Amino acid sequence: MEILETKKDDINIFKLNGRLDSNTSPALEKKLMEAMESGARNVVIDFENLDYISSAGLRIILKTTKDLKRTEGNIVLCAMQDYVKEVFEIAGFDSFLTIVPTVENALSKV
Amino acid sequence: MARKNISFKLKNNISELDKLGRKLNAFGEGIGLSKKCMFQINLALDELFTNIVSYGFPDNGPQWISVALSHDNSKIRVRLEDTGVPFDPANAQTSATETEIEACKVGGLGLHLVKKIMDKITYQRCGEKNIITLIKHIPKS
Repeated sequence: MEILETKKDDINIFKLNGRLDSNTSPALEKKLMEAMESGARNVVIDFENLDYISSAGLRIILKTTKDLKRTEGNIVLCAMQDYVKEVFEIAGFDSFLTIVPTVENALSKV
Repeated sequence: MARKNISFKLKNNISELDKLGRKLNAFGEGIGLSKKCMFQINLALDELFTNIVSYGFPDNGPQWISVALSHDNSKIRVRLEDTGVPFDPANAQTSATETEIEACKVGGLGLHLVKKIMDKITYQRCGEKNIITLIKHIPKS
């Protein structure tokens, strides 16, 4: 999986490319932790090029959401494939996560 | 659609998830399976395989886990075999989904996903083997 990290104003954007599973989730966790330690409070994760997610990926998203909540930060997820979004719904994560169709929506929501 | 079957073996190492993904893609493309259906079968096998690798072999020695897939017009049947400690995922407790973030725990989440996205899951202990069978009905397009 590739993780492209960019910044727009005070928003840290992570664009994921490939597969987020038990193999690749530690790399994403590390990037997100480092960003939060450097003061990131508003996080957008762009799923447009993410083909695959397992519970290991969901776990990192949940952990990051909890960490950001503690520091009064925000996280918005965007541009998911329908079948990826369905996994968030089956897990019940859509009840506390903001999931929007495009990265522009995400930047205005976060 | 013609009936097609594949079987392969994976080592008890998480890095084998890549091989699992490649094998399933080749199988799915061969029978013209939708991207969504391929994803769901991959996810179910990933979660079960990851569980077996994480908890099935406490002494951590090298082991093989067998996967077999077969297909007819209306469904995919998956069979997963390992020689790890007995574990019945069909009757294991899964996480109830929580709507409050602080109450949300991730233990059992993988199995919860498997049960929701597959149509049937059965388990047998045969001698030294765990045998898990999954059925996924293929939605009519």
